[in-house]
Amino acid sequence: MPDYQLTVNGRLRTVDGEADTPLLWVLRDTLGLTGTKFGCGQGVCGSCTVHLDGKAVKSCQTSLREAAGHTIVTVEGLSKDGTHPVQQAWLAEDVAQCGYCQPGMIMTAAALLKHKAHPTDGDIDEAFADHVCRCGTYPRVRKAVLRAAGGAK
Amino acid sequence: MTSRREFLKVTGAAGAGLVLGLHLEAKPRPGEAAGAEFRPNAFLALRPDGTVRITVPKTEMGQGVRTALPMALAEELDLDWSRIEVVNANPGPDFKSMQTGGSTSVSSTWTPLRKAGAAARQMLVAAAAAHWKVDAQACSTGNGFVLGPGDRKLGYGELAEAAAKLPVPKDPPLKKAGEYRLLGKRMPRFDGPAIVTGKAVFGLDVRRPGQRFAAVLRCQVPGGQPKAWDETKAKAVKGVKAVVKVPTGLAVVADSTWAAFKGREALAATATWDEGAGKEFSSTALEAQMRTALTGPADEARKAGDAEKALAAAAKVMEAEYAFPYQAHATVEPMNATVQVQAEGAELWTGTQSPNRAQSTAAAALGLKPEQLKVNVALIGGGFGRRLGTDFSTEAAQVAKALGGGPVQVVWNREDDLRHDLHHPATLHRMRAGLDAAGGLSAWAHRIAGPSILRSWMGGQKSPAMASAEANGALDIPYAIPAIKVDYAEVEAPTPLGWWRGIEIVPNVFARECFLDEVAHATGKDPLRLRLDLMGNQVIVRFGRDEADIRRLKKVLRMAAEKAGWGRKLPAGRGLGLACHAYDGRTYAAEVAEVSVEKGQLRIHKITCAVDCGFVVNPAGLEAQVEGGIAFGLSALFSQITWDKGRTVETGYHDFPVLRLADMPAIDTVIVASAEAPSGMGEPPVPLAIPAVLNAVFAATGKRIRRVPVSSDSFK
Repeated sequence: MPDYQLTVNGRLRTVDGEADTPLLWVLRDTLGLTGTKFGCGQGVCGSCTVHLDGKAVKSCQTSLREAAGHTIVTVEGLSKDGTHPVQQAWLAEDVAQCGYCQPGMIMTAAALLKHKAHPTDGDIDEAFADHVCRCGTYPRVRKAVLRAAGGAK
Repeated sequence: MTSRREFLKVTGAAGAGLVLGLHLEAKPRPGEAAGAEFRPNAFLALRPDGTVRITVPKTEMGQGVRTALPMALAEELDLDWSRIEVVNANPGPDFKSMQTGGSTSVSSTWTPLRKAGAAARQMLVAAAAAHWKVDAQACSTGNGFVLGPGDRKLGYGELAEAAAKLPVPKDPPLKKAGEYRLLGKRMPRFDGPAIVTGKAVFGLDVRRPGQRFAAVLRCQVPGGQPKAWDETKAKAVKGVKAVVKVPTGLAVVADSTWAAFKGREALAATATWDEGAGKEFSSTALEAQMRTALTGPADEARKAGDAEKALAAAAKVMEAEYAFPYQAHATVEPMNATVQVQAEGAELWTGTQSPNRAQSTAAAALGLKPEQLKVNVALIGGGFGRRLGTDFSTEAAQVAKALGGGPVQVVWNREDDLRHDLHHPATLHRMRAGLDAAGGLSAWAHRIAGPSILRSWMGGQKSPAMASAEANGALDIPYAIPAIKVDYAEVEAPTPLGWWRGIEIVPNVFARECFLDEVAHATGKDPLRLRLDLMGNQVIVRFGRDEADIRRLKKVLRMAAEKAGWGRKLPAGRGLGLACHAYDGRTYAAEVAEVSVEKGQLRIHKITCAVDCGFVVNPAGLEAQVEGGIAFGLSALFSQITWDKGRTVETGYHDFPVLRLADMPAIDTVIVASAEAPSGMGEPPVPLAIPAVLNAVFAATGKRIRRVPVSSDSFK
């Protein structure tokens, strides 16, 4: 099997794997980064969202070949100690219920705010269109995004 | 209550600090005998270093038990919240009947947890008083310390050893509500920091040295078996280590999840199946059978007066059929379990709502006694009743056994999860109402036809005993109508069934509250007024084994209506609808939905929900349960599982839609202040969402929708 190189949470990693392996499974099974979650494998639930060169992507729909040579950030690498503004806003709004879909939501929120410092409700609707939270944390997700953007108390 | 048994005991060994074993259990039903033997099933450990470990027998699945239960104990003990560690119990001799469901976690543990905290506090104070040679009355506690006269101060950790040697007080006094520091305050979720940093460990995140991953190729028709297959191509997939036959199908075992999935795909292309007895099952055929059963024989679940006679004598009879489909739990974390068997012992890691049954069924599959299998309860990425089932953990044990021990993690994908769910079954409802000459409601008949969840779960023959479970939400209709008949006709289905958040109460309350709305409009009465009038002056009403205080239901209904602005003038195309229910006679809830329908598009703007669940331990947790319960209920308005040729048509979130952020209405939660004992909040908001919305759709459009799921065609 060929070797692929990618930067994950600031570390250059060499992965010996099949080209078509989704990045999700490279992260979870090869690199042991289980913060990125498997929800559907069909690209429609958002649980596996990570950053690729700063953009939110679904790691279940991104192959190892596509990820190679790029910079990946997962929820574990968003901040050293949970102090990223989005993580802090998530705690302040007490968003999580079961918590399973939340790392993906947090990664989407962080990418959204990087590109749009003051998102509208419509921007938030659009950014989270591909996310599923079966516990129904949505009202708090919206509040947390606005809080992280400095637009809400 | 407390004299029923000794419920607290020092159980720790010397040097362990103060370890108290306590017994948590459901409130006994009237006349139920209490056991005599003391078996602690929760533990409080005050360690010499001042840290505190609380072992809870309830599974966290998003409902907040790992926050609410420790709050009750920490309140009475005046603990330092930042030094608490919460541990999930392992089923075994100390924890014999762990189960999380039915919205009972707080109500069943609230009193004993507080008593344990109060007893430990009293022991720590006594130990400090003896040390200082002062009167215990002169001492107080705060934030993990005992405080004595003249700035004396000792940490609980320092006192734990001495306290453990003292007798355990039998009936320690509890704080009065006005003295609470934690209870009733908004407490953030205990696991929040672990969740937002990706450190929280769910079942699927368990990693053991040398762990393999397995995907099981199952027949698409539940119960079917592989007839023939060729393993060559599956084994040629890089990373695939083995293919083993297990009772549920063929397990492809690999060194990564992806390789297991790919191997399974290769294997699937070669397999032929014996699809078994369920291969012809279809939703269409089931619906025809249910319709026949709507007028055939049935088992009675509630009888008041003679409904048939009253209907025959009525000036006018209204009749309608309501339909609710099969539904899936669709938890975001798919089913999974990890099993390892080695000489030193066997272990199972899984997110389960039924740890003891997971233990006994997996142990049996491994040929072990339950006590030979250690079960580690992981965080649950969504339960909603699905993880009361132990099919997936038993399957993992079977795979581990076939492999000679593991460790192996069996991973379901989304399609497996929808196809092999323990689905909530479809029902049809025949509703009849008799009206007298003045338009008064003189008779009510509610016939439910559908597969029985209880029988799918318990096995056995058809029995009239199923009726009261399957008619929950219908039989406890809170309206004083002179003649009421609620009955249930079982229609068999070959698919495994299970309870789902809100259980049978969801379809039954949907039919009941929408049909009552029909009666209101047909008789020219305001739907709120009609409900309040029909509840009348009733006080405590007994329904089967539950009893409800109708005054509390009236109160939440009034509050929700008032907060939502019931009766105000709305623009054309916009409407308000309401629904209410006393859930298991314990939690009272009412919801008012505000919706609009434009160009065939339904928009749900807002849902106002008033609840009375007794004393609210954690208002932040309660609000989350209301928001989440409504989201779950509204999802069901748009989703269904359809059966064709014995298999589900739906295979993922693309065709089994779950509510998304953009569709989430604003939620306004109104909490009734109450000093009554806490009840439960996980499920009560769920069943009201659909009827409130569909009654609002009628108010907005004049269109009565009696069938779930809705589509844009429903509003034409």
